[in-house]
Amino acid sequence: MTGFLHGASYGVVIVSVLMTATALSLWFERKLAARMQSRLGPTLVGPAGLLQPLADVLKLLQKEDIVPLKADAILFNLAPPVAVVCAIGVAAAVPFSPTVVAADLDVGVLYVLAIGAITVLPVFSAGWASNNKLALLGGMRAVAQSISYEVPLVLAALVPVILAGSMRIGTIVRVQSEGHWFVVWPFFLGIPAFVIFVLAMLAEANRIPFDIPEAESELVAGVTTEYTGMKFALFYMAEYVHTLVASAVAAALFLGGWDGGPFRPGLHWMVLKTLLLFAALYWMRWTLLRFRSDQLMGLCWRWLVPSSVALVAGAAVWVVFVG
Amino acid sequence: MRTVQVARRVNPHLSIDTYDPEAELMLLHFGPQHPSTHGVFRMDLTLDGEIVVKAVPHVGFLHRAVEKLCESLAYVQITPIVDKNDYVAPMTNEQALNMAFEKLLNLEVPRRARWMRTLFAELQRIASHLLWLGTFALDLGGALGGGSTVFIYCFRERELILDLFEEVTGARFHYNTHTIGGNRHDIPAGWSAKVHQALDVIASRLSEYEGMTLDNKIFVARTRGVGVLDADLALELGITGPILRACGVDHDLRRDAPFHAYNEVRVQVVTATGGDCLARAKVRLGEMRESIRLIREMVDNIPAGAINSGKPIKVPLQTKIPPGQTYVAIETPRGELGTYVISDGSQFPYRLKIRPPSLHALSALPYILPGATVSDAVAILGSLDPIMGEVDR
Amino acid sequence: MGYFTDGLRAMRVTLTNMLRPASTVEFPEVIRPRAERYRASFALLHDEQGDELCIGCLQCERICPSQVIAIKFGGKRESPITGKKRGYADDFLLDMSACIFCELCVQVCPTDAIVMTREAEEPAYTREDLVLTMAKLYANEKSKPRAWGDATRLMGMQELPKAPKPAPAPAAAPATSGGGTHGTGEGSG
Repeated sequence: MTGFLHGASYGVVIVSVLMTATALSLWFERKLAARMQSRLGPTLVGPAGLLQPLADVLKLLQKEDIVPLKADAILFNLAPPVAVVCAIGVAAAVPFSPTVVAADLDVGVLYVLAIGAITVLPVFSAGWASNNKLALLGGMRAVAQSISYEVPLVLAALVPVILAGSMRIGTIVRVQSEGHWFVVWPFFLGIPAFVIFVLAMLAEANRIPFDIPEAESELVAGVTTEYTGMKFALFYMAEYVHTLVASAVAAALFLGGWDGGPFRPGLHWMVLKTLLLFAALYWMRWTLLRFRSDQLMGLCWRWLVPSSVALVAGAAVWVVFVG
Repeated sequence: MRTVQVARRVNPHLSIDTYDPEAELMLLHFGPQHPSTHGVFRMDLTLDGEIVVKAVPHVGFLHRAVEKLCESLAYVQITPIVDKNDYVAPMTNEQALNMAFEKLLNLEVPRRARWMRTLFAELQRIASHLLWLGTFALDLGGALGGGSTVFIYCFRERELILDLFEEVTGARFHYNTHTIGGNRHDIPAGWSAKVHQALDVIASRLSEYEGMTLDNKIFVARTRGVGVLDADLALELGITGPILRACGVDHDLRRDAPFHAYNEVRVQVVTATGGDCLARAKVRLGEMRESIRLIREMVDNIPAGAINSGKPIKVPLQTKIPPGQTYVAIETPRGELGTYVISDGSQFPYRLKIRPPSLHALSALPYILPGATVSDAVAILGSLDPIMGEVDR
Repeated sequence: MGYFTDGLRAMRVTLTNMLRPASTVEFPEVIRPRAERYRASFALLHDEQGDELCIGCLQCERICPSQVIAIKFGGKRESPITGKKRGYADDFLLDMSACIFCELCVQVCPTDAIVMTREAEEPAYTREDLVLTMAKLYANEKSKPRAWGDATRLMGMQELPKAPKPAPAPAAAPATSGGGTHGTGEGSG
């Protein structure tokens, strides 16, 4: 019981910090995007525009809540909250420091990948239930993309599991803190696996360059075309949370989590690595053009899957012969 | 240099009933309200999954009855109205219109005005292609993402050119600086130095854009082999401009039928082979560099003299053009823009017809869209660079 | 693999742009300097003795392609300043919501009465506020900076030059912010 209360209280803390971080990341992203485009970004609301996310949320809250006439109302209304729940649920098994973790499961990696995989369901049901051809197209693309990119995601996540010998994320981080981070040694396994994991995670979260399902220039807003007000906000919040948490998972699995190298380990290292990875993902988002669906699939099945299979085999060989 | 690229000739009037009834086809309206249709434009796409089977474009949402309106406006009042046709390159609209009136009146435009008009047209070409590049990147990359970054960069450079126009004419967008017989605004002192500065900035950033687009594998993968247009079909449909030159046909009115100062400078025509979106992008980026070179060559050598050969307009309703009809065509950033005027001797034209190059470009859509995916449809439409203002007038 | 290197190259371009200063300003607290000839709004002028320059000849009303000017001719009456009989305009309305800023009204005015200004009107909440009344137009004479062009100058620019002038040395000014120009009226740049 005390273990449950312990984990639950940490869980509450993590979720609240995640929500705040999402709001701040809204501001951060807009400022980052603006500076990259030689603009100023939000400056009016609050000091340096820090209250802009609050203004956005208030604006979205007071919008009319529209459910299309022939839409499947239950699925339509359920999709956004389920998306947010799935995105937040992943954070339960991620250790942010040796003590701050909601539930350091023995099968932590499996749990993370499984809950992350469920996020395709609310996206597709939003596309189907909207009774809108553009949303349907977006939903179909999302399903194809997410299911395909599951494979390299899982295989790339297997590499640190094999190298550390456990699926518990806490153990993986501990192995890295006692030895080297997996992107440092063995770098010929760690760096490609990291890159593949990040790319596959981008595709799961429907971010540029893989954001075909919500390609705004082709399908007006893709899957979220018919959503208004707070439900729209929930979808976008789900996307931010997913990216944040997936960056945290990548930092834990490959970048050593709360380990600080020669310095003292702590929560701040995890936060710093997550934020750096997050910023790098946004940098990529605001720079690159998007892939077409079939090019996306080609990239996955012809490049990422064979490379990740080879990496898993290489990791196994490494562990057996080198230890 | 005709290309040998033969694309399969699609029947654009394919009736859906003759298609396989087992195939489940979906009718998707790429409606007038869409972030990517370059203005109000509607395309009815019949989709088999993601592949387009039949495309029907609908134009006319921006029809403002400009040609009918001009039948009740005096000749000098028509220039600011016609500015709004191709609202991305207004200098060329005014140029085509006033050249037609001058031909009917047998007015010779003074040399300084001819050079100024050519300079403005070339500057406008750079500005128009910059806008095209920005919106094309938006189509490919999304308004929330890499496309918008290229868009903002292009507009930042376009602002430099608009600043140059602001110094000459006072307006940034719809200038009304051409008039019958020449121009209305003369170049202020120090303008050519500013032109050089602006061109230096643009030329250096052009290589940045090429790095983000032409040299970028994602861009190339999205545009190579997409929307291949056969040169024969293009000639049949009356397509001109960068689209025709991207099919390999070496035709440019600036060199083949030179007007104004183009017979005093050498225009190197940029062509490409393939007829796909990548070729069109290459042609337009090459044309930008060529325009920069032309402007640098011309801006320091503008001849002195008058800028208007007719008397400046004091009483506009008295400008009467003797009866006659003429057609004058110039090379705009989109192709051949023509003005056909019939005058009956009064102060209003009897009939004014504008031949818009974008309308002919859009007529290629039913032929080249079938077989492409929805993402390709957006890229193809972007690469054709239609401006609805001149399509619908 | 080429995708990676190209992607990284594009990201480097974005990084260099992040380190450049922003090219936008916070309008309307900061207004970038407009060119001398910038045309944004209108003003009616008085002459040096304080008499209204507008004689109500209706030339601007006739030439406007959008027909936004409505003038009520006030008949000929004695001027309070010079004592001579001249025409006056009783009412002058200019509908800014339909104006296309073509400057033709400025060009045809025989007395240089109507000019354009370099500052735009404030945005309004109703259409009626966008119609410039005669009082507003005369108030703009003092409250807004004038553009360079009036009828005499515009016509002068289009006439043949009287004598050949030596080309003045071009002055260098930054082109990035469209700074104010010191264009001369004779325009032999």
